[in-house]
Amino acid sequence: MSETAVSIDWDRSKSEDEDDDEEEEEYSSPVQSFPGPPPPPSANFEKDRHLVYLEMMYELLPYHYQSQEINRLTLAHFIISGLHFLGARDRVDKDVVAKWVLSFQALPSNRVSLKDGEFYGFFGSRSSQFPIDENGDCLTHNSSHLASTYCALAILKVTGHDLSTIDSELLLLSMKNLQQDDGSFMPIHIGGETDLRFVYCAAAICYMLDNWSGMDKEKAKNYILNCQSYDGGFGLIPGSESHGGATYCAIASLRLMGFIGVDLLSNDSSSSVINPSLLLNWCLQRQANDGGFQGRTNKPSDTCYAFWIGAVLKLIGGDALIDKIALRKFLLSCQSKYGGFSKFPGQLPDLYHSYYGYTAFSLLEEQSLSPLCPELGLPLLAASGI
Amino acid sequence: MDFDETVPLSQRPEWSDVVPLTQDDGPNPVVLIAYNDKFRETMDYFRAIYFSDERSPRALRLTEETLRLNSGNYTVWHFRRLVLEALNHDLYQELEFIERIAEDNSKNYQLWHHRRWVAEKLGPEVAGRELDCTRRVLSLDAKHYHAWSHRQWALRALGGWEDELDYCHKLLEADVFNNSAWNQRYYVITQSPLLGGLEAMRESEVSYTIKAILANPANESSWRYLKGLYKDDKETWISDPSVSSVCMNVLSRTDCFHGFALSTLLDLLCDGLRPTNEHRDSVRALANDEPDTNLANLVCTILSRVDPIRANYWAWRKSKITVAAM
Repeated sequence: MSETAVSIDWDRSKSEDEDDDEEEEEYSSPVQSFPGPPPPPSANFEKDRHLVYLEMMYELLPYHYQSQEINRLTLAHFIISGLHFLGARDRVDKDVVAKWVLSFQALPSNRVSLKDGEFYGFFGSRSSQFPIDENGDCLTHNSSHLASTYCALAILKVTGHDLSTIDSELLLLSMKNLQQDDGSFMPIHIGGETDLRFVYCAAAICYMLDNWSGMDKEKAKNYILNCQSYDGGFGLIPGSESHGGATYCAIASLRLMGFIGVDLLSNDSSSSVINPSLLLNWCLQRQANDGGFQGRTNKPSDTCYAFWIGAVLKLIGGDALIDKIALRKFLLSCQSKYGGFSKFPGQLPDLYHSYYGYTAFSLLEEQSLSPLCPELGLPLLAASGI
Repeated sequence: MDFDETVPLSQRPEWSDVVPLTQDDGPNPVVLIAYNDKFRETMDYFRAIYFSDERSPRALRLTEETLRLNSGNYTVWHFRRLVLEALNHDLYQELEFIERIAEDNSKNYQLWHHRRWVAEKLGPEVAGRELDCTRRVLSLDAKHYHAWSHRQWALRALGGWEDELDYCHKLLEADVFNNSAWNQRYYVITQSPLLGGLEAMRESEVSYTIKAILANPANESSWRYLKGLYKDDKETWISDPSVSSVCMNVLSRTDCFHGFALSTLLDLLCDGLRPTNEHRDSVRALANDEPDTNLANLVCTILSRVDPIRANYWAWRKSKITVAAM
C-alpha cells in the first residue's frame, strides 16, 4: 500500500501507509535488482547490518528518496522507530528529534483566527511548509496531513516525548472536519482521496493522544464494515478488492476504537461486528507456498505483508496458525547483505520494506528485537508510553 | 511542452523576474534528503510561485515540470487545480496531461484524485473516456488497484455499465487467476443498475464460475467468488446441489489440487450440510491410512497433508468441529 502507508501508501506508499502494492510501489527502491544471481541469504536476522543501514539513512537519504520528500516524516519514522526495534534508540538525539518533529506542526497564528474546516496536524515535509506572510498568517498554505500526523506522533512516542505537551484539543477538534458523512476521512482539508488508510490514521492519532473527540467512532465503524469483501478480507474503499494493507487498517482501527476484543476467534463469532472466521481463512490463505505473505489473492509474496497480515492475525488471535518457519525463511531471502529488506527476494533494500521487515521479525519474536504493538505498528514500550 | 526542460529554470528568460524560494530546513534538520540540483531548483521556483500565488500560464507549466519530479506532492497538485480554475483551462487537455504523467508512474494516489476532480467537473459525457483510460492502464497491469478504484467510481458516478460484465469476462479469459477481475465481476453483479442484483444473477454466475473452477481447480479466486455468490444466504449455500457437486467433481479427479474443493466441502459441512454416501466415498478415496472418523474430521486431516503450509490451521479447524457437523 503505497499508502499506512499512510504514509501508508502501499503501492508505493503507505503510510504505511500506505500501499499495497500501492504503497509499496511508492516506497520501493528504484533499483530493480542485483546484477547476476543473488547471494545466498543469511540464515540469521543480521541485526548489526540493519543498524549500519539505518544509521546511514539517518545521516543522509540518497537522492532516490527525493520523489518521496512529501513523506519525509514517514521516512524518518521508519528510521527512528526502526532503530528502536533494534534496541538502538540511543543512536538518535531525542531532544533534537522532538524539536524537529514539533516544528512540522501546523498552528494558527492565534486561536481566534482558527479557520473553519482547516486541519491543524503535522506537515509531511518542509516543501509543504511556508513562511508566515505579512499578515502573520501561514494558513492559506496549511496542508498538514493525517498520515504525517500519525508519523509525527509515532516518532515522538518512540523517542519518549511527553505527548501531553501537544495541544491535542486543537488538533483533534480540527481533525473532525476531515471525517466524511460516510465515516471515512480525507487526509488533508484541501481535499484528497478518502479510504481506510486515513480512518486508521485518525484512530491511531486519537488513541495516542488518549482522546476520542476527534472522530465519530460509530460512523467510522460502519465505513470499515462496508469495506469487508465477499471473500472475508477488506478493500480500501467499499467495493474494492481485498488487500492486506486495507485489512490491517480495518482491523487495527476496530481494535483501537474498542469494537473488537483481544481474542476474537475464541468468542462466539455470531456476536462479532465482522465475520472473523472468513477473515481468518482469508488471512491464512495469503501465506503462499514460498512461505511469504501476498497482499492479494494470486499475487506474489512481498516482505511488507508479513506485517500487514501477520499483525491482523495477531490482533484476532490467529497468529499461532502461521507457518512461522516458512515465513522466516522467506523474509531472510529478502534480507539485504547491506542491511535492510527488499520487497522481493534478491532486490536492493528500501526503508519501507526494511521497517516492515523489522516489525515482521518482531512478530516472529526474534530475540534481538523489541516486541511489537500490532495495532499501532510501533515498538510495544513506546506504544504503552513507557 | 513548448520549453526546453534541459535548460535550468534560472537560465530561462521567462523566469528571470522570479526569486527562487529555498527550503528552510531549520537549525538542526533530521533525515536530510540529498536532493539533486534539478529537483532542488524546480522546487525552489515552485515555492516562489506558490507563495506569491501567481495563477498564470507559466505557473501551470511549472507545476507540470514539478510533478514530473515530485508526483506525490499534494501541494503541487492542489496549486495546479487553483491555476486551472483561474485560467479557465480546457479540462479535456488536462485529461491528456494526466495520461502523459501516468506514463511514467501511475501508482500514485494524488494523480488519480486529480483525475477524479477533472472528470467530476466534466460529468457523464466523459464516462466512456474514463473507462477507456482505465482500460488502457489495466491492459498493462490488470491488477492496478488505483485504476480499478477509479473505474468503479466512474461507473458509479458517471455511468457506462452496459459492457462491464463483458469486460470482466474478457479479462478472465486472458487470465482466470486475476482476482481483481473477479472482484470487479462481483461489483458489477451486485451494483449495476442494469442487472437484478445478486439473487437474480446467482444461477448464471454459479454456472459461469463452476466452468472456471473445473478448468482450474487450484484457482482460489474462483472458489472464493463461488462462495461469495451465497453471501448472507447460508440456507441456499448448503442446499444448492451445484456447490457440493463441483466439490465432488474435482475430488474425483487425480490430476489436480484438491485443497480448495476440500476446504469448500468442510465449510459446507460446518454450515450444516448433511453428508451423503457419495460425499463420504469421494473423501475416503483420498485418504491414506488416516483413521476413519467423522467426515469433517477426515477432510481436515487430508487438508493438513495436501496443504501443509496451513497444517496448523486445518488442525485448529478440526478442533472447532461441532457435533452438528459430524
